[in-house]
Amino acid sequence: MTDIDEAMLIALVDGELDEVNRRRVERAVAGDSALAERLAQHRRLRERLAGHYAPMAQEPVPDRLRSLLDASETVVPLERPVRRWGSWVTGGAIAASLVLGLGVGRLSREDVGPIGMQNGVMVAKGPLATALDSQLASAQDDAAIRIGLTFQRKGGGWCRSFDGAMAGVACHEGEGWQVQQVLPGAGRETAYRQASSADVRVMATVDALMAGAPVDAAGEKAAVAKGWR
Amino acid sequence: MSFERDLLAILPRLRRFAASLSRDRADSDDLCQAALERGLKARDQWQPGTRLDSWMYRIMRNLWIDEARARQRAAKTFAPEEAGLTVGHAGDRDVEAHMMLSDVDRAMQALPDEQREAIALVLVEGLSYKEAAAVLGIPMGTLTSRLVRGRGALLEYMGEAA
Repeated sequence: MTDIDEAMLIALVDGELDEVNRRRVERAVAGDSALAERLAQHRRLRERLAGHYAPMAQEPVPDRLRSLLDASETVVPLERPVRRWGSWVTGGAIAASLVLGLGVGRLSREDVGPIGMQNGVMVAKGPLATALDSQLASAQDDAAIRIGLTFQRKGGGWCRSFDGAMAGVACHEGEGWQVQQVLPGAGRETAYRQASSADVRVMATVDALMAGAPVDAAGEKAAVAKGWR
Repeated sequence: MSFERDLLAILPRLRRFAASLSRDRADSDDLCQAALERGLKARDQWQPGTRLDSWMYRIMRNLWIDEARARQRAAKTFAPEEAGLTVGHAGDRDVEAHMMLSDVDRAMQALPDEQREAIALVLVEGLSYKEAAAVLGIPMGTLTSRLVRGRGALLEYMGEAA
């Protein structure tokens, strides 16, 4: 018999257990198939709920909601063409923030920009996908896109934060990277980086997603080698 | 850095939270609009450096609770004779909307509000227990017991409990 209750199992799935308790639950689960099945149910439930609602956060925001916030803002037309990674910087960070928030999904089909739409969600493409797939945070001196933190998300799966002309967080889903958040980044032209507002917001997203702590260089390398499975 | 721009950045997530609280998408955008209006009006009460998303989740959740209570009162006051016919539904529109829902929507709607909001904040929005308890203004122990009961009910409704 075991003294692991439902609340402990759920806390494990939610990434809320400290190291000691996590090990304790995992040991108990390893020796108890009924408990293991219950844990699997809770994992599936979390994935199913998160997966069900995730596309809603990727939908374009209706005009009537956006217009409430536009009252004191200068609005950049959404149709503004954005072709290449580099053009985000020249466009200006403020303009980019509006375009990024709303217009990222409107890239045309032949576009080889860093982000595209696939089945209604934002996915990394081109140079961003390449960086997320294979770039190590320890070896990226002059890279246009810098990888920040690499971590496991609550409920399982890899995520990485990135910075460059755009900053944000992407998580590995299926064969690619689903972009969770994207903001104007610090860019690479800046000689010394200022703490941008994107940093704060990207960190908030990392905090909200992350289970435990980010992996170190060895963990990052191992994850690349395994193809983020 | 402007308040409106920060709100715009979290708006997609606010819409998602509204959708997980309400019964249909039209309701949920109404809720979202009310929350944005309230947030803009009360902007002086937001403390820079604290999480804007948590602050907005709290505003939205309080509006939703107020709205749900008002609807309950209205239902009791104005439509007692119809209660036997509609058993909790407002009529054809609701029934039709109900048929288009997925299992997940249906299961979420069957939860009591207090369990649904806890589930939405932690499982859908990805808040930590501490953050979610703060948004709801309840102790951690209360939050975890709602999460346990709510998940048990969801597993049962969704037929995975076998």
